[in-house]
Parts: sequence; structure tokens; C-alpha cells
Amino acid sequence: MNRKVFAGLFLIILLLALFLRLPKLDLRPMHHDEANQAVKFGNLLEKGEYQYDRFDHHGPSLYYLTLPFAWVFSGKDFSALTEITLRLVPALFGAGLILLLLILKPHMSLKAILFSALLFSASPIMVFFSRFYIQEMLLAFFTLGFMASLWRSLRTQKPGWFLTAGSFAGFMFATKETSIIVLGSVLGSLLILKIFFPSESQTKNILEPLLSYNILYFLGAAFLFWLVFFSSFFHHMNGLWDSILSLGIYFKRAGGGGAHIHPWYYYLKMLCFSQYGSGPVWSEALVLVSALFGGAYSFTRNSKNKEDSAFIRFVFFYTLISTLIFSLIPYKTPWNIIPFYLGMLVLAGIGISFILDSCSRIWFKSTVLFLILMGTFHLGWQSWRANFKYYADPRNPYVYAHTSTDFLNLVQRIKDIAALWPEHKHMLIKVIADPHEMWPLPWYLRGFEKVGYWTETEKAGEIKGTPVLISSVDQTQKLAPLIQDQYQSEFYGLRHEVLLSIHIRLDLWNQFLENRR
Amino acid sequence: MIKKIILFLFIFILVLSFSVTQGLFSQEEKEEQEKQVLEIELPKPMFVGTPRNIRTPNLEKITGKMRGPFYVPKGTELLSLEKPVTSSDMMPIIGELEYVTDGEKSGEAGYYVELGPGLQYVQIDLEASYNLHAILVWHYHSQARVYRDVVVMVSEDPDFISDVQTVFNNDHDNSAGLGMGRDKEYIETNEGNLIDPRGVKARYVRLYSRGNTSNDMNHYVEVEVYGIEVK
Repeated sequence: MNRKVFAGLFLIILLLALFLRLPKLDLRPMHHDEANQAVKFGNLLEKGEYQYDRFDHHGPSLYYLTLPFAWVFSGKDFSALTEITLRLVPALFGAGLILLLLILKPHMSLKAILFSALLFSASPIMVFFSRFYIQEMLLAFFTLGFMASLWRSLRTQKPGWFLTAGSFAGFMFATKETSIIVLGSVLGSLLILKIFFPSESQTKNILEPLLSYNILYFLGAAFLFWLVFFSSFFHHMNGLWDSILSLGIYFKRAGGGGAHIHPWYYYLKMLCFSQYGSGPVWSEALVLVSALFGGAYSFTRNSKNKEDSAFIRFVFFYTLISTLIFSLIPYKTPWNIIPFYLGMLVLAGIGISFILDSCSRIWFKSTVLFLILMGTFHLGWQSWRANFKYYADPRNPYVYAHTSTDFLNLVQRIKDIAALWPEHKHMLIKVIADPHEMWPLPWYLRGFEKVGYWTETEKAGEIKGTPVLISSVDQTQKLAPLIQDQYQSEFYGLRHEVLLSIHIRLDLWNQFLENRR
Repeated sequence: MIKKIILFLFIFILVLSFSVTQGLFSQEEKEEQEKQVLEIELPKPMFVGTPRNIRTPNLEKITGKMRGPFYVPKGTELLSLEKPVTSSDMMPIIGELEYVTDGEKSGEAGYYVELGPGLQYVQIDLEASYNLHAILVWHYHSQARVYRDVVVMVSEDPDFISDVQTVFNNDHDNSAGLGMGRDKEYIETNEGNLIDPRGVKARYVRLYSRGNTSNDMNHYVEVEVYGIEVK
């Protein structure tokens, strides 16, 4: 393929990725987890304080990498921070993944890179979670960067690639604890190549560079990023030890699962076919099937192979091992599909290239290409549907315990009432609900100075006279005798099947009605 | 002499007023210095992991208590069964308008009619005038949700222009534009919402709603109207 044609097509694909990822980043209400991350980031933004929490929130890289975006777009004031600024971080990392494919040029044909890039840019899973302020898209970026640069380092034995691979590995661990599974899967894949393909020149000495002094570059770079991030830039050295202890905590959580236990086929079913109630059908089977062809291709013996078959086997075994591990772990959420799904996307590009090369007759090749492009268009259409139509609808398989759009009406009501209060944002707001029914309120009420959160009505102090009360349904029943007829109550949807009540003091409510006339 | 006395008194009053005012102000200042702004430390939100994703229908009752007995005059009967239904949305998104009075109250898919977004109504023609003693409404009870601006009107006029009486209205901010109501919002359950029309005479029953806490659509599983024929 002509290099200029490749560059042009690659640029178009990159623009498509940005086109699906960047518009209306504030359309979807903030998820409970996004709000958690945002409030934690707010502490770093305003006070410069961050301490790694081994029990929750995952690694520090998301927060530190958000800082420059916040400084540029929102300043240092947490209340001025917006959803767009926050979600811009995963959106750009999600599109940046496509650029990383260029590292693989020596190991993949240009055609395979283009098809992989196209699938990365259009995949509903990749687009949906690129618009979601959690760690997953950063982990995907660092994982692909790590795999690509590790392979380059093993093949070229150049210190620069070892340094790059080590840096990506350090970032992976500083992003999410589950990176251990990814690192283990990569090591497992290399071991399989060494053990089961010992006679092949490409894989015979695959592990030898890891035993040379070059490994020091790798370990040094990984250690440096671990040290800097988990110690909060040397301000909280306990974070280093906590990062080790966290592995035990996450191991237990993975085995337990709690409210997030799903069957082993959860992810594969999501890829093949999903439909909830009267909602539309969702499928990324094109990627799954093409990836199988890509994996099969690595085992074909053809002297005309344009791809590095050892590399494809490396990706294939990585994908197989990580898919197995993530599927066998009872704890599952839709975004945990990403670390192994990116392997499938690379393989799918190779698979499509293989299918097209196998078509000898031009009319047959054209028909297959047309069908594949239609399939990719279908992925892009599903991405649009998932992000701009069903963005918070439980009939969307990637929507998981998401905040209802009705919740934004509650936020608006609070703002309308606060506008009537003499000191506006100093109006006292008491929230009485279990933490699972409280978020994302702390994010949306970040501009208010006097907001208190309690889990029980009995602990919330004086109720009478409070301008605005917000409560979960069970706490509403406890509040009823305390507020009697002195408040106007309304219900709002927090999530699918979860409601919140707002209670507005009658004098304020009457003033609100008066102002609306 | 008198002038001097008046001038003296004037200066005396002036000095006295000044001293008293000063004393009062300093007293206020002293009191203010003794007071302080009460700083209330409010608890911060607790961080907690991803909540449970709910996809299964919730048929549990929210209150946990059954509704108590509701008394109606002897001879009261179900009037609405299989009576004609019209609507502001004659092309429902899901289901048929006949579902509203077909006697099926199941919360499952296939038993409810879905009307478009915004303010919508269904209207039941009882085909004769009755004294109404109970109206029961099931919007959608397979999950916890609240329907907005539920307004129930009855009339002898099919166009609801004259002789209209509102028997239930929980549109507390008049966002539906049908007048402000004092009835409370409620969470849908399998018991339905029982409205007491207090024997009002009517042939037509019209029920409004304006979306719900889950989406902007309007749903009806069943509406039952009970009453006695007008003698």
C-alpha cells in the first residue's frame, strides 16, 4: 500500500474516532463512579492533596493526568470544573489508542493496521467508555502501548524500547490494580510461545532479552513511575506499601463479587448479542469473528505472510488468557471487558486483512470488503445510538447502574430553590441516604457551601427549618413525621428503580411558585 | 434670658442624646463582640464502590403495608371493563388503548400501553352517567417509579369543556397547566392508586400524566372505575 494513501486513510479514521468521542461529552449524567472519581480529583485540584486509597478508587494516574486539562479548561476551582473537562481525558486517550497501532508497523501489514484502527474507532464499547470518567480507557492505552513496545524491545533489543515498555508498565499499575491480570497474561503468552513453539526462529529466544541487562531499563522505568505516582510525588510514602496491600484486597473482591456477580459468559454474550426488554439489538460479533480469523492466521504457514506471525500469536495467547481470567472472575462490570477486548480488536484487523488476501477473485474480494465496511458502519451506528440516544437507558448493555436523566431535574430544582435563598449557594441542604443512594449528588452539589450527608435521619440533627432535605425512599418514611405538612415533597429518579425525594420548606416552595407566575 | 435658657436646654438635650446613642451603640457592639457565628461542620459524603445494576422487575411493595379497606355504597360495581378508550395519543408506541380497560393488571410486558412523551391523557367513556365512588389506576408497576402530574378529571362532556370536576391532582407546581393540585406523588405498586371521587356524577373519566421518573413516556396497565347508575 502506498504510504501516502495509508497516511490519508489513517488520518480519516482518527478523525472518525474523535468525531464519535468528543461531541456532547456532558450529555450523559455523571455515573456514581465518575462522581466518586471527580470529587476525589477535586481535592487534588483545589488543595493539592492526594493519597492513594487501597480500598477504592484505583490508581493515581487518572487524577494526575486530569490536572493539566483542568488547569487549562476550568482553572483551580473545583466548582468551575465541568463534565466536559473530565471526560476529555478518557476521550483523548481512547482516540490516542489508535495512534499506538503505528508502533506495530514492523509486525503488522498496513492494511491490518488500518482495519484495526477502524474497529477501534467505531467499536461501541470503546467509544462508550472513552466518554466515561473512569480509569478504563487509560488502562487500555497503557496496555496497548506496553504490549507494542515490549514486543519491539524483545525483537530489537534496543534500550529505548525497554525504557518505553517499562514506562507503560509503570503507568498501567498506577492506573488500575487489575493491570496485574494484564501483566500476568502477557507473561503467560510469552511463556506459551517459548514452551510450545521452541523450534521456530522467531520465538526460540523470545525470553532471552528479559534475562539480559536490558531488563534493568525496563524495571527502572516501571519502578520510577510506581514510586512517583503512589507516593503522591513523595508526599505520602505510605501509598507505596498500600499499592502492594491493595492486590490482596482486589483479589478478595474479585472472588466475592458481591452485587456484581455475573456468569462466566457475561462478556462473550455482551459481544455477541444483547437485547433488554423492548430495546434494540446490540452486537459486536464482527470483531469477535474477525479476531478468530486473525488468531487462526497466526498458525498458517505461508511464506507470503506479510505479518509477524509470532507477534500475532503473542496477541492471540494474551487475548485468550486474559479473556479466560476475566470471564472466570465472578466480579464483572461492562468496562472490565476492555483489557482483553483490545487484543480482539488488534486480531480482528489482522483477520480482516487475512480474509481479503485469501479472496483471489476481484468480485469476491469486493463483495467481502463491502460487507466488512457495512459491518463496521453498523458498529459506528451502534456507537452513535449508545452515546447519543440510549446514553443512560438501561436497555443499553454498556449502561450499568447509571444515573437517570431525571436526576438532572432534581439538580435543577435545587438550583431553582437556592436562587431564592438570600445567600444562594450558602443554603443548607441535608442529604439523608445510604452512600449507594447518595452519589452523584456530591458532584452536582459541589458549588454549594453547606451540604451535609447522613445515612440516618436520627443522626441528621434538627430537621425542622432546614430549607432543603433530600432523602432516599426508606429515610423519607422516617422523615415524614418530622416534616409533616411544612414541606413540599417530590420524587425524582436516581437510577433504574432507585428514587430520591426532595423536601422543600413551604415558604420557599410558595415563593418558587410565585416567581413562576 | 429665655433665649439663653432655651439654648442651654437645646445643647443639654443634644449632648444627652449623643451620650445615650453612643451608650446604646457601644452596648450593641459589646453584645456583638460576645456573639459568634455558629460554624456547623457538616458530614462529608462517604465514598463507596459501584452500586448494583438492577435489571429485574421489582414487584415488591414500597410501603410494605396493604391498603386498608375502602368503603363504597351498596350496589357499587365495576363500570369501566371493556368500555371504549380514547387518548391524546391515538397511535401508542407500545400496546393498544384497549389494554386500559381489558381487566388485565399484570405488570409484565404485553399488558401495558405506552403513550408518547410529555403531557398525555386517556379517556374512558362509561357510556352512561353514574355516581362514581372509586377510581383505581395502575400506570406501570413492574418497577419503582413515580408518574408526574397525575390529574384525574370527570365530566358529562366528552370534550371536557363544561361541567368538569377534578377528583385527583398531584401537579403541585402546575407544570401541566391544568391547575395546581394538593394530592401527593406516589410510587407505583401492584395495588394501584385508589382515588375517591366522592359520588360525583359523570360519564367520562380523563386521566392525565406527564412522564415519570424513569423516562418521559406515559403508561397505563389498567384503569378501573366503580360507581352506581344514576336513578
